[in-house]
Amino acid sequence: MENCACKVVFEFDNSADKLVSSLQYMLDNIAGGIPLHADPDDILFRCKAIITELLTNAIKHAGQSSTRFDIESDGAKLTIYKTDTGMPMYLIDGRSNGAGTQIPADNKHLISADPLSSLFAIWESENHIRFASEEGSLDDFLAVEQLAEHFGILIITNSSDEFTYTYDKKTRENIFRVRINF
Amino acid sequence: MITIVKESPKYIIGEVTITEANLSNSDEFKAELVKLLDEHQKVLIIDLQELKYVDSAFLGALVSALKYAISLKLDIVLAGLRNDIRDLIKLIRLDKVFKIYNYAEEASFAVNKM
Repeated sequence: MENCACKVVFEFDNSADKLVSSLQYMLDNIAGGIPLHADPDDILFRCKAIITELLTNAIKHAGQSSTRFDIESDGAKLTIYKTDTGMPMYLIDGRSNGAGTQIPADNKHLISADPLSSLFAIWESENHIRFASEEGSLDDFLAVEQLAEHFGILIITNSSDEFTYTYDKKTRENIFRVRINF
Repeated sequence: MITIVKESPKYIIGEVTITEANLSNSDEFKAELVKLLDEHQKVLIIDLQELKYVDSAFLGALVSALKYAISLKLDIVLAGLRNDIRDLIKLIRLDKVFKIYNYAEEASFAVNKM
């Protein structure tokens, strides 16, 4: 494990038993690097939500023994990277082989929608996706049965200033990148 | 995982006894909620004051159980949430579908007035 004022590298073994201790380790490191002009409670709340979901995602989807977290900060922003070599996200699969997800001409794909929120994947290049969300109209709320039950990507999207996914074909790495502006 | 601490004609209050609710216990948590709804057929007030850590799997279990409660013409009401968990619920707008109170007693008073 490597640790300095501006960068932390953390290897997570994808074990649910170590989820909370891993989260706490990363939050403790982030807390020391929050600049004075930022609101530490807000930054740590957002980081807790984001890292929790990235760890949960690692346990569910990484499909291998460990996942690497890189946390970098400067005076303007905090960036969290989660990297693994598991299967690429289904959205990338659909794009590259024509099966599964069909991408519209405007490169904006609706991942999920319910009366509370809509979640989109926006292709910025062939293997690079940015996530975005929009609030739904409660006027269309007919029944609680309409509600989604999967919130991981939505939580990260709403907690961050930018959330992207990149599939590196050469290294076969899945790279989730989350940016929070101070 | 959930201990019944009070029962009235309209509601039951269940205290959540775990401090961490995540994907490793969310299925069990949902199963307990469904069982309580089936057995008591009353509004379920969940006191979450012991809970310090949740993830999206737990929130998904809550929504799934709420759907089941509504199908029985019942409800699930949340109480005693830590500020950060309440903020997480607001972040994804679930405060629009769950009734949320600071304390279980406050929630029970509101349920009695329904």
